Amino acid sequence: MRLKHTLQLFTIFILTLILVACGNDSSSEETGEENTAAEEQQTGGTLDVAYASEPDTLDIMQNASSPTRDIAWHIFETLVALDNDFAVKPMIAEDYSISNDQKVYTITIREDVNFHDGTTVEAEDVVASFERWILVSSVGKVAGEYIEDVKEVDELTVEITLNEVYNGFLDDMAAPKTGLAIIPKEIAEEAGEKPLVPEQLIGTGPYQFEKWERGDEIVLTRFDEYSQREETDWGGLTGKKEAALDQINFLIVKDPQVKLNGLQTNLYDYAQNIPADLYEVVESTPNTNPVSYINGYSMITPDKSEAPFDDLKVRQALHYALDQEEIAQSTYGNKEFYEMDGALFDPTQTELYTAEGTDSYLAYDTEKAKELLDESNYNGEPITIMYSNNHEAYKRISQVAEQQLEEVGFTVELDPYEWATYLERWQDPNNWDIVVIGYSTRFSPNELGFLVQDTGSSGWYNSERWSELMDQWGLAASSEERQEILAEMNQTVYEELPIIKVANETTLDIMSDEIQEYDAWIGPRFWNTWKSE
Amino acid sequence: MLHYTIRRLIAIIPVLFIVSIIVFMIVHLTPGNPAYLILGEDSSPEAIEQLEQQLGLDKPKVVQYFDWLRNVFVGDLGESIYSEQPVSQIIAERIGPTFSLMIISMLLTLIVAIPTAIFIVWKRNTVLDPIFLSGSLLGTSIPEFWLALLLVFGLGVTVPIFPVAGYVPITDGILGWLHHLLLPGIVLAAVEIGLIARMLRDSMLESVNQDYTKTARGKGVKESTVLIKHVFSNALIPTTTVIGVTIAGLLGGTVIIETIFTIPGIGQLLIDSIHRRDYPVIQGVILFIAFVYVIINLIVDLLYAFLDPRIRYD
Repeated sequence: MRLKHTLQLFTIFILTLILVACGNDSSSEETGEENTAAEEQQTGGTLDVAYASEPDTLDIMQNASSPTRDIAWHIFETLVALDNDFAVKPMIAEDYSISNDQKVYTITIREDVNFHDGTTVEAEDVVASFERWILVSSVGKVAGEYIEDVKEVDELTVEITLNEVYNGFLDDMAAPKTGLAIIPKEIAEEAGEKPLVPEQLIGTGPYQFEKWERGDEIVLTRFDEYSQREETDWGGLTGKKEAALDQINFLIVKDPQVKLNGLQTNLYDYAQNIPADLYEVVESTPNTNPVSYINGYSMITPDKSEAPFDDLKVRQALHYALDQEEIAQSTYGNKEFYEMDGALFDPTQTELYTAEGTDSYLAYDTEKAKELLDESNYNGEPITIMYSNNHEAYKRISQVAEQQLEEVGFTVELDPYEWATYLERWQDPNNWDIVVIGYSTRFSPNELGFLVQDTGSSGWYNSERWSELMDQWGLAASSEERQEILAEMNQTVYEELPIIKVANETTLDIMSDEIQEYDAWIGPRFWNTWKSE
Repeated sequence: MLHYTIRRLIAIIPVLFIVSIIVFMIVHLTPGNPAYLILGEDSSPEAIEQLEQQLGLDKPKVVQYFDWLRNVFVGDLGESIYSEQPVSQIIAERIGPTFSLMIISMLLTLIVAIPTAIFIVWKRNTVLDPIFLSGSLLGTSIPEFWLALLLVFGLGVTVPIFPVAGYVPITDGILGWLHHLLLPGIVLAAVEIGLIARMLRDSMLESVNQDYTKTARGKGVKESTVLIKHVFSNALIPTTTVIGVTIAGLLGGTVIIETIFTIPGIGQLLIDSIHRRDYPVIQGVILFIAFVYVIINLIVDLLYAFLDPRIRYD
C-alpha cells in the first residue's frame, strides 16, 4: 500500500515536471486566448463536469452532504435563499413580513412559478414541503421545535406561527444544505421520511433532472419554462438565474490526475476538487483556469469529557503548544489555499463575521504551555490524536501537531482510520483524546455542528455560557445585537477552548477557458454562465 | 458427461455457502457503520440508533446472516442501503462495462499471445528466446496502474488518440465503445499476454521433440504444419487451464483499471460500496464474482473433454 502510494506520488511528480515544462512554452498562446473573453454570450452546448464523489441521493432537503448540494441546487429552490453576501432574500417567495411580536411570518409566493412537472407552486405545496422538512432535515428539525402552525391563507399566501421568538427561522429556511426546498404536494406526501427517488426529483430550478446512471453520470437539462426572477445583482442562490446551457453532465471522476488530463483533452469542461499541490500545474496548463472558493476550516478538537482535556489548563497548554501558522504552512503550502483567521465564520460572510473576540487565536508560546502543563493534572500519559487518512490535510495537521505537542511535554500517539471507521470511533470518548477534522462553511450559529452541546462531534462540549449565547442568538433582532453575540461567541470559544481552529481552507476546482462569466461563490453553480465554442 | 456436469453444478452450492459465511463475517466485522455515514458528522446518537433499527443492523449478527441467506436461496440478494435498488439489478447495470473490458483484454491477449508463442517455438534456440523471455517477464511484472498512467499520458494527453477516461456502452455504437476500452484493455492484456504466451511456449517446447512430432517430420510434413497441427493442439490443455484462471482473475483485476479509467463497472461498484459499508451490495457482488469464478472453472473442465477426447469424466 505504501509502495503504491510512493509510486503514485512519484508519477505525479514526473507528470508535474513535464506539464510545467509544456506550460512555459505556451504562455504566449494563453494571453492570446484572453482577448476572446469579451465575446457575446451564447446559449446551448453541453457542459461536462468531472465531479469527485457520487451523491447518495439528490434529496437536498434530507441530505447534508456537499455532493448532494452541488448538483441538487440546480434542480430545487427554496422560499427564501442566500444572496452573494449570504443575506437572506426571497426566491420562490414574492415577499415576506414578520409580525410585531416576531412570531407570525406571512410569506407570499410569486405567481406562476413552474414545477418541472408542469404544475405551478401553490400554498398547499409549500405547506406540504414544510411538513416534510421538519421531518427529514437536520436544520428543519431544529426549526420545527419552534413552529406551532403552518397554514394556507390563500392560494399564494402561507402563514407560519412560531411558539416563541426565533430569529434563526429565515436562515434555517434558506440553508444551502437541507434548506426548505419546495416540491409538489403529492411528492412531499408520498416520500415522507424516505429520500426522494429519481422520479420524484421535481423542483422549480433552472435545470431539471434528466437521468442518473449510477456510478457513471447524472444528467440535468435546461428547464425551458423556468420562472425567472429579475434581480441581476443578488447572486448566490437567488436573483436572476439564466440557464444558458442545454445540458449539464455530472460525471463521477475520482482521480485528480484523470480530471486534469480530461480537462486538457477537452473531455471535461469543469473539474471539481483538485489537490492544492497541483495548483502550479493548473496555472501553467493552457486553456485551463483555476477556480477557488471558501470551504470552511480545519480544527483540532479535544475530548472534554475525560482526562486530561477535561481540565481547562491542559486545553490552554494545548492551545499555547500549537503553532497554527506553521501547521497551515506545511499542510496547505500555497498561501492561496489557506487564511489565518480566528473567527467562527468566514470574512466574506459579512452578516456573520466579526474579528472581535479572536485576539488569542494565535497564541503560540511553548514556555507558557510547559508551565501550564506542569501546573495541571497531566502526568505524561499518552494522548491519542485520531484522524481520517482519507483526507490528506488532516493527516498532515495531525503529524505536525504531534511534533509540536511532544515539544512541550505531551506524549502523543497518532491513530489514523479510514473514513467509515473514523466516524464510528468518533462517537466514543474512550477511543480518542484529540480529533483533527474540517467543517465546510456554515451559514448560521445553529449549523456549527462542532459546538453542539454534549455530542461526539464537539468532543462533549458542555457550556452554560455557550447555550446561553445560542438562546440569545434566537432572540436577537438587529444586526448590531447579532454582531455583539457573535463577538461574545468568539470570545467564549477562545476562553473555554472547546476547539482550536487551525486555518480557513480554500477549495480548488479547475475549468476550461471556454466557460465564461463564471462566479465561484461557495461551490459549482452553472446558471448565469455559458460556454463559448 | 451430463452426469458429471450435474454433479459439478451441485458441488457449487457448498462452495458458495462457505464464501457467503466468509464474506458476511469480513464485511460485518469490519469497523464502521452505514448509519454514521448516512447521517454524517453532525448526527445525534438517537438518530443513529433509530436508523440502525430501520436498517435491521441492531439484530444479532447470526440472525442477520440467516435472514440474508434465506433470501439469497430464493434469488433475492437484498437492497442497497443507499439507493434502495435491488442488488441484483445494480449488478446487472454495472456488469456490462466489466464484461466488455474482460472480452476486449482477453481478445487482445489471445491475438498477441498465441501467434507470438508459435513464432518463438518455431525460432527456438535463437537469440529471440531470451528476448521473448525477458519481454514476457516484463509484461507480467509491470504494475498495472503504472502502465495505465504511462499510456494515458502518452496516447491520451500528449498525442490525444484515445480518451483519457470514460465509458460508452456498446449499444451507443461499437466504435465509441472500442475507442474508450482499448487503452484499459491493453493495460489488462499486458500482464496476461506475458503469462499465457510463456505458458503456451513451454508446453509446446515439451512436445516439440516427442516421438510423434519426429515421425511427422520424418514423413516430410512442413515444420509450420507440425507446430500448428501437432504441437500446438497438444499444448492447448494446460494453456486452457491458465486462460480459464486468467479470465476469472480479470474480474478482480478490473478493479484498479476501472478506477483509473473511471469505467462504471463491478470493480468500482465494489470499492464504492466498501467505502460506504453498503453491506448487501458488497455481499452480493462478492458472491457474484465467486459464482462466475466457479462457473468458469467448470467450463474449463468441460472443455478438456472436448479438446482431448481421451479425457472422460464418467
